[in-house]
Amino acid sequence: MISLRGVSLVYPNGVRALDNVSLEIGKGDFVFLVGHSGTGKSSLLRLLYREATATAGEIVVDGIRVDRLRRNRVPALRRHLGVVFQDFKLLTDKTVWENVAFAMQVTGAHTRDVMRQVPRVLDLVGLSHKSRMYPNELSGGEQQRAAIARALVNNPKILLCDEPTGNLDPVNTTEITALLQRINLKGTTVVVATHNQAVVDRMRRRVVRLEDGRITTDEERGYYYLGLGQGQVLSG
Amino acid sequence: MDSGKVKFFLGEVLRNFSRNTGMQLTAIGTVAITIVLLGLFLFVRAALADAGNRLLDQIEISAYLQSDATAAQATAIGHFLARDPRIASAQFVPKKQGLAELRSRTRGSIDTALLTENPLPDKFRIKVREPEQVEAVAATVRRLAGVDNVVYGQKIVQRLLELGAVLRRVGIGLILAFVGVASIIISNTIRLTVFARRREIAIMQLVGATNTYIRLPFICEGLLDGIIGALAALGLLAVARAALWPRLLEALPWVQLTAMPVDARILAAQLILTGAAIGVLASWLSVGRYLRT
Repeated sequence: MISLRGVSLVYPNGVRALDNVSLEIGKGDFVFLVGHSGTGKSSLLRLLYREATATAGEIVVDGIRVDRLRRNRVPALRRHLGVVFQDFKLLTDKTVWENVAFAMQVTGAHTRDVMRQVPRVLDLVGLSHKSRMYPNELSGGEQQRAAIARALVNNPKILLCDEPTGNLDPVNTTEITALLQRINLKGTTVVVATHNQAVVDRMRRRVVRLEDGRITTDEERGYYYLGLGQGQVLSG
Repeated sequence: MDSGKVKFFLGEVLRNFSRNTGMQLTAIGTVAITIVLLGLFLFVRAALADAGNRLLDQIEISAYLQSDATAAQATAIGHFLARDPRIASAQFVPKKQGLAELRSRTRGSIDTALLTENPLPDKFRIKVREPEQVEAVAATVRRLAGVDNVVYGQKIVQRLLELGAVLRRVGIGLILAFVGVASIIISNTIRLTVFARRREIAIMQLVGATNTYIRLPFICEGLLDGIIGALAALGLLAVARAALWPRLLEALPWVQLTAMPVDARILAAQLILTGAAIGVLASWLSVGRYLRT
């Protein structure tokens, strides 16, 4: 579903964000990208939805050669992807319903489909009863659920999450994590960049660790810290 | 046709249009001022050209015959003039008729009764088809046997022709300059509205809206600004014409001005089209700059 081979990313200012990264993510996988801030987690995600363009290497997402994608084909790629951010990126002057519907409407979806899809995803994230409220009337967790609903409304095969719980308290974090798991169980490939130890350790899913733009470990059922479970403490 | 789609789109355009009233008014005002200037310019140009053409139309060449010219010579000249394709009409005016015309034209301010003999020579009164050919025709006629002197409003013709040429050249330049400056100002205004909606644009790009789709509402916004501005300008121009025209006629009695040298509907259509073009061009430029990140 997602394949990176020898991918490097050097920003125009000379910063080498990713260095010869290779990674395979299968259909229906659930993968955590972990590592300190600035180790390239976000950059890797940005490459996948073509917000950044690889300096070297080969990237395939859902059969699309992203590294060679022409600019005018980028919208087509993004309709296959859902992206969720730490800061939700909801439009404050639109209701929850309008925010979710917006993602379909601006891609030219048929009204009939909008009317069918929006209630479905709002139900999935548990926000049906708040569909008429505005983002600033919602809790952080609810806002993130609205953002996830928007990311899912076009039925993407892949959901990319960049620090989805970064702005949330532990209760909301647990909720969002459970929601992402549910979405994954329905067959969506989910990639989550995070530095939330609790989330990673509780889920025990595949963990890809990045350090200074390189992948250092890739475990099938990993912890946030190499070989350490929740409750254990790093010495030193 | 999916009416829900159309409703969503129009809703977005109207929402954006009404949200930034101040900015929209700036853009509309800029278009309006540009169009007023442009309209005034086009009008004045047309009026001047019209007045000039009328003057040129009235210009005729008087070819005076030598006092000892024979009737045969006069006939030959008449035949020659009739064959020249540049000449619209050539009329022989014998000296008697010339004197009578002079009398009626001066209406007693010169006492022609004092004349003991007719001092006027016979002449041909020649009208050319195109004002530009006056000089050439005059030169040809001057060389004919029996012609003494050729008189026409040399200076007036030259000046009018020069003025017409200059106006045409300056006019195109001025119009381009107007449109250019207005587009820049409006594109800056629209860039502010684009900036105010950068989050929305970012989300549209994120969920896979095409650049064309993202542009479209802004283009419509620019179009609306342009058309409203042009309509306001047309209103101002109409008011100005009603108020100023009688005074202008009074102030310039010696210039033959026509009330409407151009078709008002064509002028209005031109101005509205220009306004719309300015609006579309400006918004296209400003959004394009933003999307090319």
